[in-house]
Amino acid sequence: MRRILFCLTSVALLAACNKNSEIKVYRVSKAPLEETGPEQQTAMPANAPSPSMPGGMGPVATNPSVPVPANWQPQPLSQMRQASFLVKGDNGAVADISFVSLGASAGNVLENVNRWLSQIGQPAIDDPRLNQMAQRLTTSIGEVTIVDLAGLPNGADPAKDGRIIAGMTSSNGSTLFFKIRGNATLTESQKGDFIKWVAAVCNAQGGNKSPQIASTMPSAENSLNPQIKWQMPPGWNEVPPSAMRYASFSAGVNDNKVDISVVTFPGEGGNDADNVNRWRQQISLPPMSPAAVASQIAPLKTDDTTFSTVDIVGANARTLAAWARRDGHVWFFKATGPGAAVEKEKPNFVKFVQSIRF
Amino acid sequence: MARKIVDLITSLKLTIVCLAAGMALILAGTLAQVHLGIHEAQQRYFQSWLVWWPAEGNGFRIPIFPGGHLIGAILLINLIAAHAKRFRWTWRKLGIHLTHAGLIIMLAGGLFTDLFAVESHMRLSRGDTRNYSEDQRHMELAVIDTTDNDLDQVTGIPESVLKTNRTINHWSLPFRIVVRNFYQNASLKISNEGSLRPIANQGPGAMIAVQPLAPTTAQDERDVPAAAIEILPKDGGSLGTWLVSDALGAPQTLSCGGRTWMLAMRTARYYKPYSVTLQKFTHEKYAGTEIPKNFASKVTLIDPERNVSRDVLIYMNHPLRYRGETFYQAGFQQDDSATILQVVHNPSFLAPYVACVIVAAGLLVQFGFHLVGFARQKRIVVT
Repeated sequence: MRRILFCLTSVALLAACNKNSEIKVYRVSKAPLEETGPEQQTAMPANAPSPSMPGGMGPVATNPSVPVPANWQPQPLSQMRQASFLVKGDNGAVADISFVSLGASAGNVLENVNRWLSQIGQPAIDDPRLNQMAQRLTTSIGEVTIVDLAGLPNGADPAKDGRIIAGMTSSNGSTLFFKIRGNATLTESQKGDFIKWVAAVCNAQGGNKSPQIASTMPSAENSLNPQIKWQMPPGWNEVPPSAMRYASFSAGVNDNKVDISVVTFPGEGGNDADNVNRWRQQISLPPMSPAAVASQIAPLKTDDTTFSTVDIVGANARTLAAWARRDGHVWFFKATGPGAAVEKEKPNFVKFVQSIRF
Repeated sequence: MARKIVDLITSLKLTIVCLAAGMALILAGTLAQVHLGIHEAQQRYFQSWLVWWPAEGNGFRIPIFPGGHLIGAILLINLIAAHAKRFRWTWRKLGIHLTHAGLIIMLAGGLFTDLFAVESHMRLSRGDTRNYSEDQRHMELAVIDTTDNDLDQVTGIPESVLKTNRTINHWSLPFRIVVRNFYQNASLKISNEGSLRPIANQGPGAMIAVQPLAPTTAQDERDVPAAAIEILPKDGGSLGTWLVSDALGAPQTLSCGGRTWMLAMRTARYYKPYSVTLQKFTHEKYAGTEIPKNFASKVTLIDPERNVSRDVLIYMNHPLRYRGETFYQAGFQQDDSATILQVVHNPSFLAPYVACVIVAAGLLVQFGFHLVGFARQKRIVVT
């Protein structure tokens, strides 16, 4: 009987064991381990007691391998932001730039794009529409989905809001968000720098492979992408294109500077009303109905094709735009700047568009 | 009454009932893997004392079948008790004794393994050094005192404690942790007006909404738990409600009692007094095919306490055994940029081997006696 009681007691004691229910307290060194490999130099020490950011992410604001444009003013980092900058423009215009890293379950691209759209008072979109408007930037940690959204929520200050350009990617169990939000014109002017910065941050995390735009994005060097020719008008200067642009030019100086861009996307590139309204919002004009937009569009016939054109005049800025759809791509040519400067460059812009050969 | 209990515990009928129940449980548990996944089915059917219906929830639940632990424990008691009651030492019964001893070791070893073995993983990219492994199936809330310049004090609160305890009051912390919400699996979304609202009011969680999800059953997925915890300093007041989840990515910082603390929900970690560095990972394929031929990880093991520094090659069926832990080559990242080692700490890993040897010896002795006896009888008949 005693022996049997002993057996029962032993089994009952074993049953009381549960290896996963005890609170443990331990002390760990902050010092890095001796054999940390060269690939981990940018990551936290391997024996760091707290979890490193997924994928070795750390604050990037002070990372010397990530160049930051001179006019971006670093801002204090919050617990959520890994990088934070403010850029200021004319007439009190500002744009806020941020980099946030969350874990893997931070929602899909569509959910986040719709969240951004709701922030600027725009209706949600669906997957096909997202596929039309999203562009992809290839970096060494994978593709970053870039979206460019325009809209001014009710009661918002156009000097501080009206445009969001955002990037999102997933890497090593984390979801990375890059965003610039602010005055539409200022945000547009920072677009190139912003995308270069996104690529630099991603490449700093994943090695030093140079960034490249995915095949959905045009590149003058990429023979697989469509090529066009033009004649540059006198007085224009070709400037290095940003990651999103096929080509960039500038005309005029200082306060009378006009920014001319050439951008192409595969597919239809959205409908004309959406595009024109986006450009209107970029210069702080309210959107128009599709019928009203259609009445503003004028054809421009050239030897090669017929362009649609529009001239949008705002209080402080003016935009000339021409676009055409050829061989599965849409091409946008746009000149934006102060009203008087754009008026001066309008003949050159028309000549430039007329010189385009697909 | 006592005699009846002893008769029941030592009866052969109980053995048969337990074996039959074990067979039924294995069938039910195997079928349940289709919907629950292997991990959840193991937990509910084999690594439990009772199988419950419904399986989860705070409402009324009833046990519908004995679980693997209960059946195994009753079998073990039955075997030991029967042997203890009927044990009579004779050389002729040596084989029977050995066979039973082997079975007892095997059952006890199985129970010990289930209760005390710890499986975790160590993921290493080339050049990486780790002195901890992680259990991907269990999470912990790490509350880290980072004030000291050289050492961090980590209080690891297991997910199971967060799930079951409303208030956590531990000696190592100057505050109590009150679990306001706990989600076994959830996705985090940046909160929008009019949609899901945040459940926390401090840190990044104040901007994030939690969408509860059903626990995942896929073998290659894991749940992402999330919890809203309120920090209540022991000297009074509140430091607000914080969202903790490994989906947040970065740890959160707070100050309490003049010290700096970090909160992080992460996979449970097992620190070691030595480190492992991956020097090279090799993934060989049969020529002209994508069929794997061999995976191997060349690692450097450094143990300052024992003055050990040596290179080890870990590959299929050739694990590294060190300080009671076994490192198996378990997997690799798709692009071969990292290796995944399974780290097993099992104090009773020898039990199955010892049990098999003893059972085999017992059967040999038992059948040997019968064979010798049979041969003698035959010789007598012939004579």
